[in-house]
Amino acid sequence: MLNKQEKITGWLLLLPALFILGLVFIYPIARAFYLSWFTENLGTQLLPVFTGIGNYQRMLGDGRFWQSIFNTSIFTIGSVTLELFLGLGVALVLNKSFFGRGIVRTIAIVPWALPTAVMGLAWAWIFNDQYGVVNDILSRLGIIDTGINWLGTPALAMIALIVADVWKTTPFISIILLAGLQSISEDLYEAHRMDGATSWQSFCQITLPLLMPQILIALLFRFAQSFGVFDLVQVMTGGGPAGTTETVSIYIYSTIMRYLDFGYGAALVVVTFLLLIVAVGITSLMLKKVRLD
Amino acid sequence: MRIYHLLLESTKYSLKLIKSQAWWIVLWASLIFTFQWWILPGWTQQPITIKTLIRADEAQQLEPLVTKFNQQHPDIKFQIVEAPSDSNQVEDLYTSSFLLGNSPFDLVYMDIVWTPKFAAAGWLQDLSDRLSQNEAQKYLKGDIEGGMYENKLYRLPFRSDAGMLYYRQDLLDKAGYAAPETFQELLEISQDLQQQGLVEWGYVWQGKQYEGLAAMFVEILQGSGAFWVDPDTLEVGLDRPQAIEAVEFLRQAIALQVSPPGVTTYAEEETRLLFQNGKVAFLRNWPYVYSLALDSPIAGKYSIKPMVHAVGQSSGATLGGWGIGIAKTSKHPDAAWEVIKFLSSEASQREFILATGFVPSRVALFNDKAIVAKYNYYPKLLGVVQSSALRPPISQYAQASDILQRYLSAAITGKMTPEKAMQAAAIETRNLLAS
Repeated sequence: MLNKQEKITGWLLLLPALFILGLVFIYPIARAFYLSWFTENLGTQLLPVFTGIGNYQRMLGDGRFWQSIFNTSIFTIGSVTLELFLGLGVALVLNKSFFGRGIVRTIAIVPWALPTAVMGLAWAWIFNDQYGVVNDILSRLGIIDTGINWLGTPALAMIALIVADVWKTTPFISIILLAGLQSISEDLYEAHRMDGATSWQSFCQITLPLLMPQILIALLFRFAQSFGVFDLVQVMTGGGPAGTTETVSIYIYSTIMRYLDFGYGAALVVVTFLLLIVAVGITSLMLKKVRLD
Repeated sequence: MRIYHLLLESTKYSLKLIKSQAWWIVLWASLIFTFQWWILPGWTQQPITIKTLIRADEAQQLEPLVTKFNQQHPDIKFQIVEAPSDSNQVEDLYTSSFLLGNSPFDLVYMDIVWTPKFAAAGWLQDLSDRLSQNEAQKYLKGDIEGGMYENKLYRLPFRSDAGMLYYRQDLLDKAGYAAPETFQELLEISQDLQQQGLVEWGYVWQGKQYEGLAAMFVEILQGSGAFWVDPDTLEVGLDRPQAIEAVEFLRQAIALQVSPPGVTTYAEEETRLLFQNGKVAFLRNWPYVYSLALDSPIAGKYSIKPMVHAVGQSSGATLGGWGIGIAKTSKHPDAAWEVIKFLSSEASQREFILATGFVPSRVALFNDKAIVAKYNYYPKLLGVVQSSALRPPISQYAQASDILQRYLSAAITGKMTPEKAMQAAAIETRNLLAS
């Protein structure tokens, strides 16, 4: 048992960290909550005027906001799912020993290390309808006659964004999963083999259950990150065509920085924040359950 | 292992050295610091510092003028803080510096479309009394108007910019055409050139959902006899028949395969490359393309003219360009005005334009001997720039532009009919202006 003295020392040691946490997390969140009850824009000379739930009412009728939530969800679900499967595959390959594994592991991280805006530009050219590599390959294979207008067609633009994001962030997932794989003892597999299990059975009965915590952590990170995706979309489509790839963070950025509509922007932040909290909460509940099991 | 040891030893040794000398270093540094910041300023008359924030690439181009100004004005020190090369980011930096109060910038180097918002937010000083009527007339009319908000001047134009039609003179000569004047002629000539196999595509323009789409559309609107928002009455004209016809022209260009389907994803650079590589006959773009295309396979084969228009209407050229205003928070507005006067003077502009190939904001410079000797197309450019059209100078411009971009993008990608899209855009714009 800790005595009183030690407890006080413990709290004292925690204090600086708590203070910083309060400064960078709690204060901004509380401020956004507070600001969301006011109208503060060019119409009010940038002075706050109390409007109660006015901003939230406006949000209910704001088709652009709901569309951006929808777009962001599609993007998040699509990219995270693909990244998980691909990342797992890559991790399994990198976990095997083969000649030049060190180099391959390093190369595999490169996309993750590149600045998103730069690779976004590159992907925009890859999907360009006249000069793009994708169309060139497809037409050489004889699959298409005329160039597909990737970034100009709503569904295809979303697919292009997801492909670019998967390319960039799959390495992140595979690194986390690789760390998990390496902590699984080889003995388990050996014993399992002796009992007559096939590789597939080993994968399902040993690898997957023991890897679950890492999978959930990777999911959690990626989920939060891709829900806030900004730079990739801004560079590749700018939210177009016709707003079908506009994500929540692009809309919030426009509302606050470009329209100078701070009250409404704060309300958008609050609702997005709550939605994200719910999603993260569900994931961490699952995480806890897995750990207890 | 040996190398590792060596490294370790040498690190230890140098640490020891630093420890013994650390005291002296600290002492000297603090002495120098005190001298530099507290004692020296007291001895000498410090010049007033005037700061502004400009994109790094342009800041470097302005460097000779800055040096010259500082030589001529020993009592003022003009200093440019370099910003990222993306003008959106510059706008964000200015915005946050003003929002936080106590902005470090005395001068605001602004794109034409920021002016109404910055003025409405109360971040700029009224310059109306500083510029005489006589002096104002020496600038392009549209550029001065673009610096006004509610009948007051907030921005003096430094360099201009305007949209125009580039066309391939050689192809037109081969097929026996004069340069097109109307929308219809542009489509017909394009189709004919394409059918003759002279060129792959007819006409490219900026169709991606971004500010360039709105800028391009203002020209088509003006050429159709329509308007977007009347800044005086706040009337919205997007759902009028002429405006819908304007969208119809863009739709037709895609439907007739005069424009490639991917045109709805192009910004300036994509269209410039297509034109430079000889893949298209007509291009809508800004003046910067002219000098760049001189270094390409189509050098000497192209020319410029004002944008095409509907029968019975006249051309419009969307004005862009940059100008300078004084921040409300500046403590030295008079010194700041000195800088503005110097930069926008005829001599400074001439020097800057000769070095960079940008477009001047002073009318006289388009026919200036030195400039014409270097850029022989500038007299022609004056004709283009004078048929100017402004994006609506309203404080909520960014929002209005986003509404238009979304619905226009929906119309040209076939997600909505032009009529439905423009009606929806008009309703949303009216709601915005009423709120």
